Amino acid sequence: MGAGSSSLAMEGEGGSGSSPLRPNLDDVPESCVSSIFMYLDPPEICKLAKLNKTFRGASMADFVWETKLPSNYKFLVEKVLGQSPESLSKKEIYARLCQPNCFDNGTKQVWLDKSSGKICVAVSYKALRITGIDDRRYWNHISSEESRFNTIAYLQQIWWFEVVGELDFEFPAGTYSLIFRLQLGKTSKKFGRRACNVDQVHGWDIKPVRFQLSTSNGQQASSEYYLHPQGNWGLYHVGDFVVDNTNTQMKLKFSMMQIDCTHTKGGVCLDSVLICPGEFREKLEQF
Amino acid sequence: MASSESTTTSTTTKVLRLKSSDNEIFGVEEKAALQSETIKSLAEDGYSEDVIPLFNVEKKTLAKIVEWLNKHASGSSKEELKRWDADFVDVDKDVLYDLLLASNYLNIEVLLHQLAQKVADMIKGKKPEEIRQLFGIKNDFTPEEEAEIRRENAWAFE
Repeated sequence: MGAGSSSLAMEGEGGSGSSPLRPNLDDVPESCVSSIFMYLDPPEICKLAKLNKTFRGASMADFVWETKLPSNYKFLVEKVLGQSPESLSKKEIYARLCQPNCFDNGTKQVWLDKSSGKICVAVSYKALRITGIDDRRYWNHISSEESRFNTIAYLQQIWWFEVVGELDFEFPAGTYSLIFRLQLGKTSKKFGRRACNVDQVHGWDIKPVRFQLSTSNGQQASSEYYLHPQGNWGLYHVGDFVVDNTNTQMKLKFSMMQIDCTHTKGGVCLDSVLICPGEFREKLEQF
Repeated sequence: MASSESTTTSTTTKVLRLKSSDNEIFGVEEKAALQSETIKSLAEDGYSEDVIPLFNVEKKTLAKIVEWLNKHASGSSKEELKRWDADFVDVDKDVLYDLLLASNYLNIEVLLHQLAQKVADMIKGKKPEEIRQLFGIKNDFTPEEEAEIRRENAWAFE
């Protein structure tokens, strides 16, 4: 940090010490402002950049943004931005990682929560192994602006319902929740208004759907739900997993199944699987 | 010249004499004073036998700083320090501002961060105009620069 260049208090004598013009942060050195920024979240820092030149200068300091970036940012930059982390400023990296960035041929997205710098990942149904997905008697691919991937899979009816996915990823330390995003019924737009056709919805109230999650370091979680709310996207929480050593890749396996073949089931839309920090789950309910 | 006459309690305690911009002299035990990187390098430059002049710090601010240095060299428990620090930074913004500049000039990292956090808490959630007024910050941008800053930071508000 070093000594500031401010000349304040040099002429402290002569009564100016408590002049009504003070205090002002106008002549605070940039390094002081950077220290203040260490305790503010990124949107707040960006807001303050417009105060004056010192604040703007401080708002671009690499050492400020280094503390806001997730610990695995180098992995992310290489994986999704396809650039070397050294070629970009830290603020630029943060800004670009906040956008939803695709990877694995556009079937997965990762983005940072702007305020906390925490990581969320979404896996499109296209990256999942779905029984019967290529048979149009069972499944249809539908474009949908309600999906972050702009496309969803719609199940008309099937006996054996099984969806399995995998993800190899490096997460920063923390607890994460894994969530399936589903909707009973098929959305359409009529005269610009959202409508949902639930004619084909059946079979989900007989037996619960079983959701499972396991990690390459031996964690397991599972849950069971009857799919119920019709006409709106529902978030089905499979379970949580914990990451404690960063900078190592973890393999996640997750699935959703209802394979009781005494009845058929159908009328469900499958969008994606979401992995987000545990504390975000409640905020996402309206997602 | 030597400043060791006050070392009655301990034979090894050395006291440094710090002089404020308005010529007030404070005696501070070396162990406490050296928490300031600036004082440390001045002491190493040979000022330690004499008075160390701190041209950028007034006496009322230096008194507070000395109080902090002593407390943090006193071996208080973590919990006690935490309480004490919370009181220490709970001052009006004039004093806070002076302390911030002084701790930056004196390069006392721990104190600087405590003060920075306090200022950040005051800033949080306020509109830029309110912050400008609160801290007397003048807008020194041209309209073109303002537009550029808006573009640069638009991502954070989308």
